[in-house]
Order: sequence, then structure tokens, then C-alpha cells
Amino acid sequence: MDLSFSTEDNEFRDEVRTWLKANAPTGRRPKESHAMREFDLAWQRTMHAAGWGGVAWPVDYGGRDLPLTQQLIWYEEYARTGLAPIDSRFVGLAHAGPTLMLRSSEEQKQFHLPKILGGEVIWCQGFSEPEAGSDLASLRTRAVVDGDELVVTGQKIWTSFAAVSDWQELLVRTDPDAPKHKGITWVICDMRSPGIDIRPIRTIEGGADFNEVFYDEVRIPLANVVGDLNDGWSVAMSTLSFERGTAFTVSQVQLASSIEALIDMARSRTSINGRAVIADGAVAERLAKARADCAALRALTYLGISKNAHSTQPGPEGSMLKLQYADLAKRVYLLGLDVIDTNALAFALDEDDSDWVDRHLMAFSTSIGGGTSEIQRNIIGERVLGLPR
Amino acid sequence: MDLLTSPDQDEIIAAAASFLNDKMSTDQSRLQFESGTTPAVSNAAWAAAAELGWFALGLPEQFGGVGFGLAEEALLFREIGRAAAPGPFVSTVLAARVAALSGAQDLADEIVAGRGVGLTVPGSLHAIGEDGSIAGEVQLLDATSGLALVLSPSVASIIDVESLGDRSRVPCVDPTVDLQRATANTLSPIAHLPASTEAVEHRAHVLIASMLTGIAEWARDAAATHAIDRVQFGKPIGVNQAIKHPCADMAVQAQLAYAQTLFAALAIDEAREDAEFQALSAHVAAAGAAEFSTSTTIQVLGGMGFTHEHDAHLYVKRAEVWRRTLGGMPTHLARLLELSGPV
Repeated sequence: MDLSFSTEDNEFRDEVRTWLKANAPTGRRPKESHAMREFDLAWQRTMHAAGWGGVAWPVDYGGRDLPLTQQLIWYEEYARTGLAPIDSRFVGLAHAGPTLMLRSSEEQKQFHLPKILGGEVIWCQGFSEPEAGSDLASLRTRAVVDGDELVVTGQKIWTSFAAVSDWQELLVRTDPDAPKHKGITWVICDMRSPGIDIRPIRTIEGGADFNEVFYDEVRIPLANVVGDLNDGWSVAMSTLSFERGTAFTVSQVQLASSIEALIDMARSRTSINGRAVIADGAVAERLAKARADCAALRALTYLGISKNAHSTQPGPEGSMLKLQYADLAKRVYLLGLDVIDTNALAFALDEDDSDWVDRHLMAFSTSIGGGTSEIQRNIIGERVLGLPR
Repeated sequence: MDLLTSPDQDEIIAAAASFLNDKMSTDQSRLQFESGTTPAVSNAAWAAAAELGWFALGLPEQFGGVGFGLAEEALLFREIGRAAAPGPFVSTVLAARVAALSGAQDLADEIVAGRGVGLTVPGSLHAIGEDGSIAGEVQLLDATSGLALVLSPSVASIIDVESLGDRSRVPCVDPTVDLQRATANTLSPIAHLPASTEAVEHRAHVLIASMLTGIAEWARDAAATHAIDRVQFGKPIGVNQAIKHPCADMAVQAQLAYAQTLFAALAIDEAREDAEFQALSAHVAAAGAAEFSTSTTIQVLGGMGFTHEHDAHLYVKRAEVWRRTLGGMPTHLARLLELSGPV
């Protein structure tokens, strides 16, 4: 048991830090979706050209296949660049790509994986539906086999970056009579197919990367099915363990940086009563508690990575980290507003202060997206403590 | 970087759990405090713990110790917390260290061999000198064999409690703890260790965090067991999210406390710059987990949790004592905010 990193790992950290410092984009990431896509893809191409395109991807698919400790180091250093923990490349690199590696045909792999890693394409996810959120397996978007094609009709929702995506990992119901987990198919959908209608949904902070996607008899070649027809649920579940907790590090490290930044701001700023913000006992206590909680979140990340380095089966730390991160992020970014105080009234008064408003609003998504906190608590209660369903 | 326990460490944990179950179980604590006899720790059990080397586990070998790190001590203390074992474990282990590292080897040997050392909890009117001397009002936890440890940010010392004035015994909220109140004019210690040589208080934060983690884990498991077994309206109560979700929150908090406590122990073992920050974070995380989990468990247990029928009340009281002995949460949080951030 130890906290220290090996000499080799420390050298690796130096290498990563130097490379990121010299190469990470420094300008603000554009807010407009198409410009954002180009920004994200250009960065992916820069990383790929230097061999950093897929630190967790297997070498066979052009990745680096770093040991978990070095993935942790990579993400800790990546977090310091201030780049977003999750951007439009996320579904391709961390979900659809790994699913294709595990479950798709050789042809599908050869066609898609180099494009994802090489920063040529953006993927989006077509899972959630208006009537299938936490209960994903009750999805209704219908697909009927017609010759060598699937004909898809229905609706998806909460699809990030759909309007700027090339491909989609799409879950459709191919057997309406089978039990709900047995009649689903995982298929690769070309987002430029006729019959697809994408309508943006404005999100709480004013962004428009979120979408509803409507499918009106969209024809998808049967060759695009991954795994077998009606076996899509197992395909969708097969990548849950990808990266085994390391990618989450970026969010955790950036939350820690936010807390340190807020402490500095609370020390240097004066509140309307003329005293330093940190002189307010309630603010000080919340800042200190956030520091301690974030330290524990990091320790839990390290514990999870330590376990996963010895086991192929991911432990419950994943759900625990997600749950605790969401709770802490919401607390910290609300605290951010209390530190900037009346500057929180204006969304664009000062660029830096408006970032805190943006972070606070965005933090509401942390306990909803990717499995709500309520679902995480069910998972922990049932799988860790053995409570009855 | 690896936070998994080694086979050696697993053996320490298993041996400790088995010993505590045989010799220091809550059955015995309960019998003793129900009959009004103190102290709750039996001399034989305490001597057996000394025999096992518990008080020298983390002491360097040149001082007659076993030579393990604070990480191993943390794993032992987590089991002590889980068992709610009575006795001045924290102060005895740390006092052996103060004695040995300050050159009082005979005293160290005596402590390691089983002379328990109580803990001095400073009252509001007190002062601790740079030489570890103490003046003013104090409370003494489990100082039944005449010695007590004094902790401050700048020094750790051992005092002879017989030399304190106005000593009186008062009932403790945790009935397994012997509590005395006393006043000192200015009492010089029999041994002292400046924090510049070793910051004993940081180790105290970690050991207390370890016990509080064990308490939180016990409470989590007690609540889960009840939620599975107890049937109402024809179903186990654990099917209800109003029960299931607080249980899940207990699981998360216990795991956070465990991870952070190990992180802090290793930060001290490896002399990291942020050792104090990590130790305080562990104390805060574990104290929060213990308070939340013991009180939530009482709620999950329903009426039974409010009575002596179940051990839950023992753990609530134990957590209450241990999360206050080095000063309460406001003290720790204020210090945490003064420090530089994590490395």
C-alpha cells in the first residue's frame, strides 16, 4: 500500500505535462456547436498525431493502452489544462468506440475506429426517449426489418451534439413481443440519413447542444447492426466498465481546482459588509467542508483505480463516485455564487464571474445525466448492501 | 500508488477482528455498564492486547516496536471502532510514541507492555505550554492507570494525573468511558515531544478517523441487515427507497471515510507536504460519516434503535465522544481552511 508513484510513472507525468503545456489549445472553446465540433476534432487530431489520441484504447486499435496508474496521471495532467472533462468526442471515444471494439464485426471496426481516434468524426448517443429515461429498457423507437435494411420510426431525446454528429449509437426495438430487455437492437445510424429530424432543446445555461431526434422511416443497412438482432441490451451494457474509473479523474481534479480558486477569491474579495468574504463564518465552513469532501473524493478515486488494476470486474466505486461527485459539485458551484455574491446577478458582467454562474447552472446535470443519483442509490443499495429490489 | 491492503495487512485485520470479537465484544461492555462497574475494559483483555503488540505496532523497531506504518495502525483502529471496544487505545499508542521518541524508553516499554494512558481533553479554560505543560481545566478519558496524553498543534506530552488538583469522576455520555474532571495550576509533563520532531496530533487525527470509519461501517451494516430482515406490509422494509437510499448514502460515506483515512495515513508515512491537510480531511470525513450513519441507523431500526435492546446507542455515543476529543468540527474546519491545499 502506498501513495507514491514509481520513478517511471513520475517521468511519464513530466512527459505528459510538458506535452500538454506545449500543445493543449489555450483559447476559449467556442460556444456555437459547429465551431465547437471543429475545436474538439482539431484537438483530437493533435493528440492522435502525438500518440495521445486514445490513452485507454488497445494498441491494436491505435491506442496507447496505458496501465491504469498512467491513465490516472494522464487525466490528472489533462485536468490542469482546464479543458472540458467531457466534450463532443466523448461518445465516440469512451462509449461507442469501445462497444465496437468488443462487439462489432471486423469490417465495422476497420471502418469506424480509425475515424474516431483520428478526430474525423463525432458520434452521439441515441438511448433515452421521452418514455424511457431511467427505465431505458422500455424504449419504444421501432425498427422493422425490410430486406437488408432496418426501417426506424420513433423519437430519441437528450441527445448531446446530435446536430454536429456524423454517427449515432442507436438503440431500437426490433421485437415488440419479446420481454423488454430481449427485443432491443444496437445499430450504427448515419446521422445524415433521410428521415432524421433534429430539433435543438435549449438547456438551463442557454446552450443548444442538446437535441430531440425524430426518425421517420429512416433506412439503416442491416450490416450496421452490432451484435445480433434483439441482443442490443447486452451490447449496450458491455462497455460500462471501459476505462474503469480513470476518465472521471478530470472532473474530480477540476472540482478541486474550483474549490481552491474559490478559497483564493474568498480571501481577496470584499463582501458588501466591507469584510473579506472568507470572514463570513458560514462561507468559510462550507469552503473547508468542500476541501475535505473533495480530498475524500480523490482518495475514493485512487481506491477504485487500485481495485480495478487488480480486477476486470469494476467495483461499486463507480456509482459511489458519480453520486458523491454530483452532490459535491452542486454544493461547490452554489457556493461559487455566494462567493461572487452580487456579481452572480449578471450572466455576462465579467467573463470570469459569469463562468461561475454557468458552472452552477451546468451542475444540475451532474445528478441527472448518465443515470440519476436516485438510480445510483438503488444500485449501491442493491449491489453493495444486498437490499431487496 | 496502490490503496489495496496486502496479505500481511489482511492478516492484521483478521486477527484484530477475531480478538475483539472474543475479548472485547459489546456483550461484555454492555454487561459492565448495565451493572454500573467501570472501567468497561477488563485488565485481562487489555493485557492480552498488549501481548499481541497492539501498542507497539507502528513504533520503529529501534524502540522495541513492531515497525509497521500508520497505515497498519489505521487498519487496526478501524476494527477497534467497528467493535466499539472500550479502552484508551489512541492515547496509549501515541503515548508510547511520545515516550520512545523523547528518550523515555523505560516509560515507553511500560506503556507497550500494557500500562494504558488516558487522553486529556482540554476544557475552555486551559493552556498548553511549549514544553507540554498544562494549566487550567481539563477532562480525562480513561486515565485509570495514572497517566494521560496531552496533544496540541506544537507539542505532545504525558502527564501524571495524580498531580492534578480537584480531580472528580463524572459519568460519560459513553458509559464505557471513564471520565474525570480536574484542574491544574501548571503541571509539567513527565515526557514531551515537540511537533517539530514528530507531529503526534496528525497521527491522532488519523487514528480517530480510523475508529470513526469502523463505527460508520458497523452502522451501515447494522442498518442494511435490519432493512433486509425486517418485514412490514408484507415486504422487507429495504425495498422502500426511503430506507434504501439512506442506506446507500451510508455506504458511500463509509467508503469515502475509509479511502481518505488510508490516504492520510500513507501521507504521514510518506512524509508528504500535505500530511496535515489529509489527516484533517480524514477526521472530517470520518466524523461526518460516523455521525450520519449512527443516527440514520437508529431511524432505520425504529423503536428498537431508541433502546438498549440494540447496540446502536453505544455506537452513537462512542461516535459522539470520539468526534469531539480533539476539538469539534468547527475547530478542524477552521484549521483546514488555513492550510495550503492538497499536493
